Order: sequence, then C-alpha cells, then structure tokens
Amino acid sequence: MTDPLPKETSQLSRDLQALTGVDVMACDQCEECTLGCPSAYAMRMKPHELVRAIQLGLSEEIHWSGAIWTCLSCETCNTRCPQGINILRVIDGLREMSKDFEYYNPYPAIPALHRIFMSLVNRYGKLHPLGMVLLSNLRMLTPFKDIDLASPMLLKRKLKPLPHKSHGARELRQVMARIRKLEGAK
Amino acid sequence: MVQYAYFPGCSLGSFGYDYHLSLKYVTEALGMDLVEVEDWVCCGGFSARATSHLLSIALPVLSLSHAEKAGFNQLVAPCSICVSRFKAANAELEHDADLMKKIHEVFDYKYQGKVKVYHPLEVFLEMGLDKIRERIRKKLAGLKVACYYGCLLTRPPEIAQFDQVEDPQSMDSIVRALGAETADWSFKTKCCGGLMTLSRSDMVLKLSNDVLHGAKEAGANAIAVACPLCQVNLDGRQRQIEETYKTRYGIPILYFTQLMGLAFGAYPKEVGIQKLLTTPCEVLGSIGLM
Repeated sequence: MTDPLPKETSQLSRDLQALTGVDVMACDQCEECTLGCPSAYAMRMKPHELVRAIQLGLSEEIHWSGAIWTCLSCETCNTRCPQGINILRVIDGLREMSKDFEYYNPYPAIPALHRIFMSLVNRYGKLHPLGMVLLSNLRMLTPFKDIDLASPMLLKRKLKPLPHKSHGARELRQVMARIRKLEGAK
Repeated sequence: MVQYAYFPGCSLGSFGYDYHLSLKYVTEALGMDLVEVEDWVCCGGFSARATSHLLSIALPVLSLSHAEKAGFNQLVAPCSICVSRFKAANAELEHDADLMKKIHEVFDYKYQGKVKVYHPLEVFLEMGLDKIRERIRKKLAGLKVACYYGCLLTRPPEIAQFDQVEDPQSMDSIVRALGAETADWSFKTKCCGGLMTLSRSDMVLKLSNDVLHGAKEAGANAIAVACPLCQVNLDGRQRQIEETYKTRYGIPILYFTQLMGLAFGAYPKEVGIQKLLTTPCEVLGSIGLM
C-alpha cells in the first residue's frame, strides 16, 4: 500500500478511537507487527496493512479480507509496536463494530463460534467443552471433525458428557442483560 | 498455611483436569491452601472480548467480586487465558474511572479492585526455589525439558507484569531446580493457535507443529506447559500434526506442576499422568519414574 496519508483523519479511525481509545495515526508502517504475527501467513490483509487501511478509512476492504477473524489475539503486535499502538484492541473494536454492519465476511464460522461460546456461558455460567465441540462441528457442517481427538478424551474423562451449571449463572445472565441494555441505549 | 482464592476456570474441570490434580498436589505439598471461589463463572476468554469490551471486563469482575466478598485479596488462576483476562480487567478498572462507573452500574456489588491475580508460576517463584528444592524426593535427572509459556503469560508486559516478555525464565528455573535440564529454544512465547482450535484447526496444526519441531530441534524429550489450551493443542493434536506433516514427534506434553509433583515423590496417577494423550511412559520410564 503506497497511498499517501490524507490530511484529514478518516471517519473509521475516529470511530475506532472513540470506541477503543487507540490512535492508529501514529503508525509509520515499520511492519514489526506483521513480522511477529503468527497468523500473518493466513491473512489476506496483514496487520500493518490493516492499520494503514484504518488510516485510509477502507472499512469494506478490511471486513472483506477477514483478517480481523484470522487474528489469534496473541498480543504479539501490541507488545512489539514501537509506537505503542494497541493493535489487538483495535481489532477487538473492529470485531465489536462488525455486528452493526452487513459486510461480507469470508470466515463467518469464526464469529459464529464466538456466539456459540457466549451462549453456552450465558446458559450454564461456564463453558461446556464437549458441547462447544459438538455445536461448532454442526455449525461448520463437519459433524465428525476431531472425533479422533474427542473419543480418547471422553474415555480418559477429560471431556464431560453433561454440562455442569454454575450457581453464578443467574447473576451472570442479569449482568449480561444489563450490559445489553446499556449498550443498546447508546 | 497461606490461603489463596482459587479460580479453576472452565478447562480445569474438563480437559485440564490433570492440571487441577497436579496443582492441588503441589500446592498442598508446599503449604498453600487453595480455596475455590464460590459460584465462579467463565472469564469470557477470547469470545467476550470479540463481542463487547464492557462484557469482557464484567465477566472477570463477576468472579473477582465473589472472591473479594469472601475476604480474599490474592487469587490464583492456573489458565493463562483466565489470568490474562483478570489482570486486564483489574488494570483497566484501576486506570479508567469511567469504566469503573459503568461496571458499578451493571453490578449490585461494588467491586473495589482489591483482588490481586497470580498465575501459579508467580506464586511458586515468590515462595522461592529453595522451598521447592526442600520438597524434592526424586530428582528429574535425565530429562531435557523445553519450557513453553505460550502467548498470554508474558504478553502484553504492562498487564502481565511477569518475567521477561520474549525470553521468560521462570518456568525454566523451577524445572532446573527439580534436577532436569532445560532446552534453550526460540518458541517459548510463540502462539500454539489456541483460540482457533475448533474454527481453524489447519492453523493450529501448523503453529503447533512449529512449536513441536522447535522443541525437537533443541533436543528436548518433553515439553512443560502452563496453560490447558496449549496442552490440548500440543498433546491432543500431536497425532493429527504427525499425520498432516508426515513426521514423528512422540514428545510428551506435561504441565509444569506434574513435573513438580513427580519430583516431590507423587505416584504418576496422583498428578494425572494417565490422562495425557501422548504417552510419557517411555520418557518417564527411562529416568526411572514409571
């Protein structure tokens, strides 16, 4: 990407700064983030390109690349950024914002799995790993994926067939409902 | 007995049960009392932070406030994802009064941010290596261990406040105190693919293969881990990795607490060795532990 930076800050970077408090305009494309990124090889838009795209306000390109979902949240980019830009916080912000848009996403299964995770937590107060595996497999239309991993784990009782409910689940649901209300009111 | 609040997290009740067993064994041997937080709930992991920032702070606060209400000011969480989320929540609440206000708005109990969160490694190091050496019944001589810290134990440094970011030494020093040799390798804090274990297994296989390959190159015959998700990716998926990359590792992936337990004289069963998927019998047998 060799486009020169526009004089004005893009709407997208202003929105993201309001949401996350991170200013991406300080990035000078040293590529340190991309060099350390474990998932850069699988990204169609590498971390430093993603930051540039935010500076330029290219929302559609960002979402179409699917890079925000290929990110592993390993915190290497933040740690190594010489400008101190919290890139992962920005990516989390983009993930959060993606709910409000109808952009094409090449990896719809990844946010869907996050939703499955949260719905299990909402229901039981904690994650039920076997349930997570089964529901994920159904969502991805690969019902027998990882059966070679799950069956010895079941035999060794490392996966419990039934979920265990936390007594804190009720309070958790209450808090989650209040958060939804608070965020909906914005 | 020093008392700590204990947050096992979702994984230690299921696929990380061996971590739970060995941690309990080791802490009891060292005179620590872990009291499980009452009615704890999931920390939200990677999913809450991808959904809503407020939610990703509120979920850790739920369990932390239970610990605070019970009068604890120190909490131990063995999973590095949970530790990272807890530490992030505490740090952000300390520096952001607006966020604290929002959190107080959605909770009945007003959390004060008084509970300090530790990973077991930090607690053991603070206790001192001498205390660990005193307990040793059987030295682990003959074992060459690659200590694998994973992503979130040291990163980001301003939140983790733990060891050196790129080349941590804490687990190495504990494992060396047990009499084993440690490998000098460059994959200590590389990512195993953790969060994508179900959604993009291809990435997990590649990244975990890099880690296993690095350990083998460094001449290690075992890998010590401190996070249940790293363990499941490296141990559980090891056969899939071997099939995909047409290679053979056979490297057992043990929790560092299992190594400590074995050195403290525990029977393998007491620290959950039988629950490992990549059998450690050969390696542990060769040094007379099984």
